[in-house]
Amino acid sequence: MTTRFAAPTTIEAALAILSADRDARPVAGGTDLVVAARQGRKPLPASIVAIDRIAELAQHGVSDRALVLGGLTTHDWIASSADVAAIWAALADAASIIGSPATRATGTIGGNLMNASPAAETTGPLIVLGANVMLRAIGRGSRIVPVEGLAVAPGRTVASADELLTTVIVPPQPENSGSAYVRLEYRRAMEIAVVGAAARVTLSDDGRIAAARIALTSVAPTVVRAPEAEAALASGTADPSTFRAAAEAAAAAAQPIDDVRASAEYRRAMLVVVVARTLAAAVARARGEAIPMPASRWAHGQEV
Amino acid sequence: MSESQGEGAEPAVRPWIRPDGQAKATGQAHYTADLAFSGLAHARLLLAGRVHARIIRIDTARARAMPGVLAILTQDDVPERRYGSFDFVLDRTLFARDVVRFEGEVVAAVAALTPDQAAAAVAAIEVDYADLPPVLDVEAALQPGSPLVHDAIATYAHDLNLDPAGNLAGRSTIVKGDAAGAIAAAPIVVSERYVADMAHPVPIEPHTVTAEWSGDRVTIQSSTQVPFYARTKTAEVLEIPEHRIRVAVSHLGGGFGGKCDFHFEGHVAALARAARRPVRLVLSRREEFLAPDKVTHAMVVDIETGLNEDGTILARRARLILDCGAYASDTPILGQVASMMIAGPYRIPHVDIEALSVYTNRTPSGSVRAPTGPQACWAVEQHHDVLAARVGLDPVEFRRRNLVRDGDEGPTRQRHEGNGAVETLERAVAAILAGGPLGPHEAIGVASGWWFSAPGPSGAFVRIEGDGSGRIVTGAQENGTGAVMALPILAAEELGMRPEDFAITYQDTDAGPYDGGSSGSQTTFNNGRAVVEAAREVRRQLLELAAVALEASVADLELRDGHAGVVGSPDRRISIAELAATAHGGALLLARGSGMPPEAPEHDASMCVGRLGFESFAAPTFFCHAARIRVDPATGIVRTLKVVAATDVGRVLNETGALGQMTGGVVMALGNATTEGTVFGADGRQRNASLLDYKLLTSADAPEIEAIFVEFPASNGGPRGSKGVGEPPIVATAGAVANAIAAATGARVRRLPMTPERVWRAVRTGDDGAAEANAPFGPVPIGAAAGG
Repeated sequence: MTTRFAAPTTIEAALAILSADRDARPVAGGTDLVVAARQGRKPLPASIVAIDRIAELAQHGVSDRALVLGGLTTHDWIASSADVAAIWAALADAASIIGSPATRATGTIGGNLMNASPAAETTGPLIVLGANVMLRAIGRGSRIVPVEGLAVAPGRTVASADELLTTVIVPPQPENSGSAYVRLEYRRAMEIAVVGAAARVTLSDDGRIAAARIALTSVAPTVVRAPEAEAALASGTADPSTFRAAAEAAAAAAQPIDDVRASAEYRRAMLVVVVARTLAAAVARARGEAIPMPASRWAHGQEV
Repeated sequence: MSESQGEGAEPAVRPWIRPDGQAKATGQAHYTADLAFSGLAHARLLLAGRVHARIIRIDTARARAMPGVLAILTQDDVPERRYGSFDFVLDRTLFARDVVRFEGEVVAAVAALTPDQAAAAVAAIEVDYADLPPVLDVEAALQPGSPLVHDAIATYAHDLNLDPAGNLAGRSTIVKGDAAGAIAAAPIVVSERYVADMAHPVPIEPHTVTAEWSGDRVTIQSSTQVPFYARTKTAEVLEIPEHRIRVAVSHLGGGFGGKCDFHFEGHVAALARAARRPVRLVLSRREEFLAPDKVTHAMVVDIETGLNEDGTILARRARLILDCGAYASDTPILGQVASMMIAGPYRIPHVDIEALSVYTNRTPSGSVRAPTGPQACWAVEQHHDVLAARVGLDPVEFRRRNLVRDGDEGPTRQRHEGNGAVETLERAVAAILAGGPLGPHEAIGVASGWWFSAPGPSGAFVRIEGDGSGRIVTGAQENGTGAVMALPILAAEELGMRPEDFAITYQDTDAGPYDGGSSGSQTTFNNGRAVVEAAREVRRQLLELAAVALEASVADLELRDGHAGVVGSPDRRISIAELAATAHGGALLLARGSGMPPEAPEHDASMCVGRLGFESFAAPTFFCHAARIRVDPATGIVRTLKVVAATDVGRVLNETGALGQMTGGVVMALGNATTEGTVFGADGRQRNASLLDYKLLTSADAPEIEAIFVEFPASNGGPRGSKGVGEPPIVATAGAVANAIAAATGARVRRLPMTPERVWRAVRTGDDGAAEANAPFGPVPIGAAAGG
């Protein structure tokens, strides 16, 4: 049961509480915390530090060609930003399909990352886009951690209890690159990824694949890179058979599980589908073709 | 959008905005959990948490000593009364006695000063169990030597039309002619199996009950659809007379049948008496999935049809197994309903359909919106497409040849009058085809069906106040459908007043006369008749007063625009307000209505067993749904693009309300069809008892929905020949979608719900899912939520 509650308005004040009170946990939108508590999966922490009034954490924008997002940036802002859609499209694909309009208006990028769910939508896109986060603690200043190395297990990150995610920094993207995120969704809203895949593909001048990064959602205890699939793409031609080979390599290496949402067999098969579709969308965007947002709703030029 | 058929067409009713709409839309409406009490205590239930076990010991001593605890009850603290829905099988007690039979079974209840204290006390109740082998498979449950859900079943009292034994709670048949002989002689015979999983009603408002005693009387505020029935059962299990119990309902946050029957009123009333305080119970969402014993029936349908080469149906045999869960509830009567649905609105000379209601250690099934209808229609309408393909007929033409028409005979020789079975087919098909050419992986499917109206006793009072305004006092319950809200339309028409001139007093057993509650699509059908009868008596009273005032003969008078006047003489009139003022100096304008229920159509059920009242369908509604869908063959995901719901509702009384029923029914049906369904673990427990993993469709998934009303008034119907409209819209959608999936992919899915994985498997391997066990999966990974 929660017995202590604070709502600081500065980062320093929040960090002071997190440092002094070992039970204290930061809460931004609360969209994971409250749902988990209501379902009896995880009780509310004994001490809550509500960080939603810290104006400094809500700043966001493009700075020095990088996307700099305060931890409180909402999914709704990301989903409706023209800059994000143009340059960091995979992130927009993901932000626009999280939960419902209410979830997106309340939920934050920092919360999504620090909740460390293997089904988190924004993690895969941030990994393939090469994003870093800044973790800050009182007395130790800030450290930079790649999103790829942030989560270590479901619900657990490398951050210590007194650290707060203050900023997400998404670097400028390579020339001739494009990105996308595709998740398998049974329904159009309030959905959890059965499987999902994010990709960033950079094309060489001759149209071949110069570099590719792929991250998979809901197939491991954390969102993970797919090195086998990336290797299968190396120097390949950017066509459906290459995408398919990479997707099959990703599926062969994955260790999906049976649960109430899908069997392992179905997950593995769907991984092939979403990886191939993600690659197709990312390559199309790299070529400057318009793929509507969110990419999850389109395949082979058709709405699905 | 509506179209009149037959005789007696009356002026169209203008759109009617329900009087409770604004309060609900603006958050001002109070639901049961919003009610304030001084000294309120909070209840919490201890649920079994296992599906089948003997209780070795219950020790509440440690829990009783915990802070804030006011009362703890087990079966030892209430009368030892076994009861059952409608007395079909008296197989249960208020709290578990010796054995728990499903995971949501109530073992004990706590009242404490705060919800947290109540939860802590529940956790401190010590129960030792000895697990018993769970009965989870309905077919295995029927085998000799199967473990029994009720080992003392032979000692249970039961309806004399039933013969419960072993794991069989009830058996019924619908029989006509010689189906075995006709099938043996038929040139074409097709046999198939269809299997449906259990689903939930999922009202937005979870079950909520408060109870407060005053002397020997108790007021129970409950989120029930059936206040009078809840009162009857509370009286029975607590052994107190009905007149000492008042059951009242605030606004109800949806029910869909899940709040029919008797749930927690008895527990909370007993707790409040023991705690000597008002007590409130609000189920959590998880408890709402586990504890209320009302889910849709898991069903196994074996169906066989004999056919002529020209597509004429010659005979049908079927065996239906309904999983009734741990307690019989009202499943025995629903076996009859399911059988009538498997026969369907088709000309079939020989019928032999058997329904078995089988006990298992699952959550008890029951009257969820159109109980058994969607599953049965989904099965039989796929079967009909298979039959059509077998004889090379278009599915629409196949139905056209076999659907019932005026004068045809039903499954027990009930005589059909003029009806919309064929016209709804034609209209639905025309409307769906108007959507233009199909895109890649798109297809259209249709399904036809019927559903009964439920004649029953029902009462209402109508009175005119001193200022000429009106009041309806009714026993009917407003379930959110708007049925009660629309009663003023009927009274106003009789009295020449406006609907907004009436107030309604409703859902309070101390105030209104008896009504069967919001169930069986019966509110307008039965209570509407009662209101009309009462209003006609008030009309007579008004006209008598007016005859004196206007010095005219009653026969020359009419009620119009709030006045009584002489027909043809606009100057000779007097306002109802003036007449009401006169009446308040003497004999009041006050009347009761309780129309005799219409009789069931003539039929011959002499060959049927397990007869509980559904050997025929009274004033049946006929309908056809046509669905246009798109399948993603790589993933098995089905998107429904448009549904046309064409329905013969007899007569549209309130088009706004009827449209609401159609729209909501189709969306609910689509969830049942494609994304819902309970997943069980190997231990028999529900694995997706949350809104995260029990996937209702969202508004973003809703397709375009076109409702078409076809009007063939029923001679034995509700007001103006109307038929029930609440349940029919959920029945045919899944069948239409299933047939569209088969048309789009060439693969038939014979397992409901038709989840993406099942569609994908059918497309990939041809496995139709009917042989699949309800997959027991491994543990759910923790932290598998997203958001932020």
